[in-house]
Amino acid sequence: MCVRRMLNLVSAAWFCLASLSAQAAHTEARLVLAAATARPGDTVLAGVQLRMDPRWHIYWRNPGASGMATKVAWQLPAGITPGAIQWPVPEKLPDEDLTTYIYTNEVVLLVPLKLADDLRPGPLDLKASVSWLECDVQCVPGSAEVEASLGVGNETKPSKDADLLHAWQTKLPKSGEALSARAWWENAAAGKSRYLLLEWKSPTAASEADFFPDASEEFEVQPVTERVPAESGKIRLRKEVKKLAGDWPRQISGVMIQQSGPARLAYEVNLPIESPITIMAANTDSASVTGLVAPSLWKMLLYAFLGGLILNVMPCVLPVIALKILGFVAQAKDERRQVRNLGLIYALGVLASFLVLAGLVIGVKAAGHKAGWGMQFGNPQFLVLLTALVTLVALNLFGVFEINPGARVMDTAGTLASKHGPAGAFFNGVLATILATPCTAPFLGAALGFAFTQSAGIIVLMFVVVALGLASPYVILSWQPAWLKFLPKPGVWMERFKVAMGFPMLATAVWLFSLIPLHYGKRALWLGLFLVILALAAWIYGEFFQRGRAHRGLGLAAALALLVGGYLYAVEGQLRWRSPVPDTSLAGSLKESPDGIDWQRWSPAAVTQARALGRPVFVDFTADWCLTCQANKRIAIDVPSVRAKLKQADAAALLGDYTRLPDDITTELNRYGRAGVPLVLVYSKNPNEPPQVLPEALTPGIVLAALDRAAR
Amino acid sequence: MKHALILLGLFGAVSAAFAAAEVGNPAPDFTATDINGHTHKLSDYSGKIVVLESYNQDCPFCHNHYRTGAMQELQRDLTAKGVVWLLVNSVSPKYPSHRSPEAAKKEWNSQKINATAWLDDSSGKIGKAYGMRTTPDMFVIDQAGVLVYAGAIDDRPSPEGDPRTARNYVRETVQKLQAGQQLAVSQTKPYGCGVKYGS
Repeated sequence: MCVRRMLNLVSAAWFCLASLSAQAAHTEARLVLAAATARPGDTVLAGVQLRMDPRWHIYWRNPGASGMATKVAWQLPAGITPGAIQWPVPEKLPDEDLTTYIYTNEVVLLVPLKLADDLRPGPLDLKASVSWLECDVQCVPGSAEVEASLGVGNETKPSKDADLLHAWQTKLPKSGEALSARAWWENAAAGKSRYLLLEWKSPTAASEADFFPDASEEFEVQPVTERVPAESGKIRLRKEVKKLAGDWPRQISGVMIQQSGPARLAYEVNLPIESPITIMAANTDSASVTGLVAPSLWKMLLYAFLGGLILNVMPCVLPVIALKILGFVAQAKDERRQVRNLGLIYALGVLASFLVLAGLVIGVKAAGHKAGWGMQFGNPQFLVLLTALVTLVALNLFGVFEINPGARVMDTAGTLASKHGPAGAFFNGVLATILATPCTAPFLGAALGFAFTQSAGIIVLMFVVVALGLASPYVILSWQPAWLKFLPKPGVWMERFKVAMGFPMLATAVWLFSLIPLHYGKRALWLGLFLVILALAAWIYGEFFQRGRAHRGLGLAAALALLVGGYLYAVEGQLRWRSPVPDTSLAGSLKESPDGIDWQRWSPAAVTQARALGRPVFVDFTADWCLTCQANKRIAIDVPSVRAKLKQADAAALLGDYTRLPDDITTELNRYGRAGVPLVLVYSKNPNEPPQVLPEALTPGIVLAALDRAAR
Repeated sequence: MKHALILLGLFGAVSAAFAAAEVGNPAPDFTATDINGHTHKLSDYSGKIVVLESYNQDCPFCHNHYRTGAMQELQRDLTAKGVVWLLVNSVSPKYPSHRSPEAAKKEWNSQKINATAWLDDSSGKIGKAYGMRTTPDMFVIDQAGVLVYAGAIDDRPSPEGDPRTARNYVRETVQKLQAGQQLAVSQTKPYGCGVKYGS
């Protein structure tokens, strides 16, 4: 072969000079031994010393995206067996899109040589052909024949190079066995790219961490390393793996790197890659959870319950709560058993809706799509239906018509009783759940974020617990009606209160309606007109059918005709509700007002880019239908103090719009253990620090403090 | 209500973002000028197999394929069978390895290159659309315009020796495409030097 011929030529040339070292264009190679003499049976450490000219480099065992690993081919006398090359920790050279792992200036590749027990005493010549690729801007292949002599005798004597070799031994990665390192897939296998999470214990804080993978023909670990939040005392990295051929790898090997103070620590690891579920299950019994990621099941169940409980006072559920309180006032005088039953039926309504939601989440996940809390609000048809439904509820509260279809003329108390009959109670439970979904409450975000990554059984369990949290105040009240004595006595005020509650409900309808143009553009007007027709139909139905004395059938027919006609003309014909307009959002600034925050569209690349420039990055994942997000924006984000701080810190402000549930944002939310928006991240200007994950409900103080930390 | 929940189940059909140049997907179309000033549009070659070769002879890996004559041989064999072979030179003018059209014509003749054309891609537009990472990084596009192979030219990542002894993935892919057989390898890790894009 050509190589051999060339190498022979080279070796012949240097043989004449009787030199022990050989110089290629820019790299000098030399063979050194730790021992001058050794006994049979010993293992002698050999080293191939390579010295490069300034600016030139050679490659590690995994050269990276280009280059070539240095090769050593031994020519050894019988009785000497070389071991594998031990590679000192390389440098990572990010160059354009090609990242390589290299050595500059000098490196000594270490190789243990095993002497046979029956080796005969005497001097031995050890030879090797070393070949490498050396590069600065250009690359040149280089090679050299190197040799060294070793005396075999009855004593082991170190050579003058022993110190050099031992010094390079300390630059080898250490064994990673004590690190409890593990590797697992972040997501299920889909397509050719997948994210791998690597985690290991680190008693000391690390300012930087990285993973240098071994090379493989089957897959490629991408050079970009992301530090993600981990439990305290642990480092967690996220690496993208691209598959080239065959199955997804089951094993990953390489070197874990961490910078702790002045010390650069490196550990050799070879890990089985686990599935996400086994890791989660294993983590549930770890008690020392501090982060949002990989928390214990019990804690998450508690969070789910608390979150459900708190949902009751979130703005989206408040109108329903008012109705419930009214119901209790009306029923306080009723039989205790009846009250209890209604409380339980309400709870059942909540529970049933949550089970439906859980089923949907499982179904959507099984179909290979991303699932998120409040995801139905990204669906235009759902929005149309819900807007109509909430409008009807408001009209009902105004007394335009009654829910009970058989109801005719009724007194106030009767009206309420009918509304809070079994069907009404169940409906209230369902309504409370539906209206709760655009809100996430404190605790709930973490709990649902956990649930959405779990197996079907745990998803159901978590949803049931949230449902119990949401329903619990009413169940308790209905079992302890004595507590209701703190509420005012029933009377005419109740009818007034009911009508008054129609207004927040109407406000909810207006808010829902404001989301419609996003999906239907100017055609949204037709939904507004349909709502008016719907109101008219409801009024005719209530006034002439429910409360009417004569020609009731005519009233019903007129109401139905209006409803059907309005639907066919306005909703089907003009709104064309089954074909929403496509997303036409554009890149660039998303500034809302001239002096507002200069939002740019979020993308992983935008984050990387801003961080590469040493800027802090403020990311707000939000959605038009997310009330908590809107509240955060008004109260704590788009306020003068935060605007000034963003400008002062030269922070990049990135907006991730989740209104239409883009997949890339769902992935990002899941990474931070969230199932839905809001999620606010603040990246430090130090590119190696993981981002701060802010709580769901924000104050300007929280945001300012986070920005201060990030700008430091 | 029930209606709403049924609808709720219907959505979720969020399609994945379309990524550029992925094996199995239609190859990104491009228009480029060759060193003789002729224009080449990928979609004009529809119905033919097209090979793209990320090229820079100053790279020892690439050079070895030409020095040994193996690359010219492969180009001759495949173009004789109706394959369109386009050299894509994406080296930016800021590097000494950049070739002006005159220098390129000289190199074309002295190296006896047998490709269909040498495309000037000093802007890096084609290189980046295909995610060309090294020289040589090879791409095979089938008769229907689908990218069917991307990666190394062969299984012998070395700047020395005879490439004819290696398993050549490009030759294999073209043979199988022309014989209507199932492809065994569709993606490998490219080897070689960096492309030397301008930015």
